[in-house]
Amino acid sequence: MAEPLIRIEGLVKRFGPFTALDGVDIDIYRGEVHALLGDNGAGKSTLIKILSGVHQPTAGRILIEGKEVHFRSPRDATAAGIGTVYQDLALNPLMSVTRNFFLGRELYRGPPAFGLLDMKTMDAITREEMRKIGIDIADPSQAVGTLSGGQRQTLAIARAIHFGAKVLILDEPTSALGQKQQMEVLKTIVRVRRRGDVAIVLITHNEVHAKLVADRFTFLALGQVIGRGTRSDLEHEDIRDLMAGGRPIGDLARELAAA
Amino acid sequence: MAAQPSLSVPRREADRLAAGGRLATLARRPEVGAFVVMVVVVVAIAVASNGQAFNALGLKNNLSIIAQFGIIAIGATLLMIAREYDLSIGSMIGFAGMSMAMMLKWGLPFGLGPATPASAFFLTLAMTLALGWLIGTIVVRSGLSSFIVTLSFLFFLRGLTEVCFREINGSTQISGLPDFKETSTFAYIFGGETFGWFYDLWFLLGGNVNRAGNQWVTGFDARVAWWIVVALLAWLVLSRTQVGNWIYATGDNREAARANGVPVDKVRIGLFMVSALCATIFAACQVFETNTADAAKGNLKELEAIAIAVVGGTLMTGGYGSILGVVFGAVTFGLVANAVFFIPAIDGSYYRVFVGVVLLAAVFLNERVRKRITGGL
Ligand SMILES: Nc1ncnc2c1ncn2[C@@H]1O[C@H](COP(=O)(O)OP(=O)(O)OP(=O)(O)O)[C@@H](O)[C@H]1O
Ligand SMILES: [Mg+2]
Repeated sequence: MAEPLIRIEGLVKRFGPFTALDGVDIDIYRGEVHALLGDNGAGKSTLIKILSGVHQPTAGRILIEGKEVHFRSPRDATAAGIGTVYQDLALNPLMSVTRNFFLGRELYRGPPAFGLLDMKTMDAITREEMRKIGIDIADPSQAVGTLSGGQRQTLAIARAIHFGAKVLILDEPTSALGQKQQMEVLKTIVRVRRRGDVAIVLITHNEVHAKLVADRFTFLALGQVIGRGTRSDLEHEDIRDLMAGGRPIGDLARELAAA
Repeated sequence: MAAQPSLSVPRREADRLAAGGRLATLARRPEVGAFVVMVVVVVAIAVASNGQAFNALGLKNNLSIIAQFGIIAIGATLLMIAREYDLSIGSMIGFAGMSMAMMLKWGLPFGLGPATPASAFFLTLAMTLALGWLIGTIVVRSGLSSFIVTLSFLFFLRGLTEVCFREINGSTQISGLPDFKETSTFAYIFGGETFGWFYDLWFLLGGNVNRAGNQWVTGFDARVAWWIVVALLAWLVLSRTQVGNWIYATGDNREAARANGVPVDKVRIGLFMVSALCATIFAACQVFETNTADAAKGNLKELEAIAIAVVGGTLMTGGYGSILGVVFGAVTFGLVANAVFFIPAIDGSYYRVFVGVVLLAAVFLNERVRKRITGGL
């Protein structure tokens, strides 16, 4: 087996007395979609926030291509090739598509910070990158607030890839989307996987989506890994049970009946 | 079948955007409301004052007030776009004016000898920038609303100004300072006149004549030039630079901006310092023009600055605003505030009635703009 692109070892994260992650190990490989599944509050978002430099781990190691890394800010993580598309998307609705695309990494001429923006080049790149993964936006100066949910996801994904992401982290990219737009996002994921050089970490509550696109699965419950495997390993297991925190659906049905 | 769109040509997303005319595009700009109000006010005041408001002297006096409003409104607008407020602007004006006048009258602090206009200005600026930095740092570090932090500085600075005046000067006013603008170029830059060529040309063309037949007005107040400089810089930075992008992002979705590596806290602290800079320029123009200072100077200016920013199309919720709109807003406010001098028949308090009405109308209009550009989010 090839060396994993990212290896997470014994990751622990405490918020004061609360243990959000309790010794998590995960390997992530190039050209694969890795589904991270688990109930609400399992610690999925916390895990990816550590990977993307928003939080610092309490203990444990992160290795990228075999080398240990320490992220002190989102900038560090981005520089190391981790592109994150947050649950809340990290977009600015009042700002234009182009300004969002290049936010924090604007192209400019002149001194840093006060250099003049090169809007023309940025507009052209934005349109081209969006088109490559399947969306032809009419006007790159239109406000992101006027885009559909699926278009916003595409924008965030296109942005991450353009800025050299080796790993694309998608936190519930299909939640809050209509059926058709969910398919758009899944298509985008498949297109990105086809490139072969990018690893995708997909967080989702939708087991159908996970089964459709994921190559490898990790199940989290209460901050611990309770199950993992490749697509073929899990062929006969009930993913739904694992997603519910390792309890069979039958138990849940009984619990509901008793409520 | 003729009415069916042809399926052989796939429809593209770009086809869905109606190609509106240039007028339609113009009507969607955020400054439109402010522009229309400004035109109405200009026409109304020109008619009601029999043109007096825009004769040579009227224009000078009006632009003087407009520039005052304009300078501080730009500081307030930049902050508001980043979703912060500065209620300390008025007190900062009073503090800066006191500081400069006191140094000019009593000499530099710590026995550093007599002050020049430049040393008084720069020492004061160092203090106001430090105060702006302090305000910004408190807001950023504490996570408290800037509304409450700057409200406390409103009281603190005004009180401090009065105490310093009484302790050192014996009274809360300074008047009769030497006319520095006659002797110092530096003082002239703030308190003198600019655009003399405009009035020279007006005179050459047969206007701008006083009763004796000589040239009447010789130039605009220097603050008009400051206003233009501040507005141009703010416009350039906001719309054309990386920092401008960061200012918008800081006010729009702050967490998103942070996640993308925008130095959100530095942007906010920097903007509080810019606001303090605008207040200091305002005060310097006043001190060097009139050679006086007063502890009450700048009273309520913070609220007028915020009102102008809103009338100019800036969203109270941040992330959106235009310098051009704020320029229009300042013209409107300055003209109305000054109207009583040209139309003696009206009660000066109508100014506040007008401000109240226009402000409320602007907020409703801005809300509609916000809904449209966010798709009703
Ligand atoms: N900053 C924080 N401070 C304290 N507790 C936190 C913080 N962030 C997350 N937690 C807690 O950590 C646990 C894991 O949260 P996390 O957001 O990672 O869950 P999740 O798996 O993403 O859930 P969901 O599926 O609902 O998005 C939750 O109990 C949450 O309350
Ligand atoms: Mg989550």
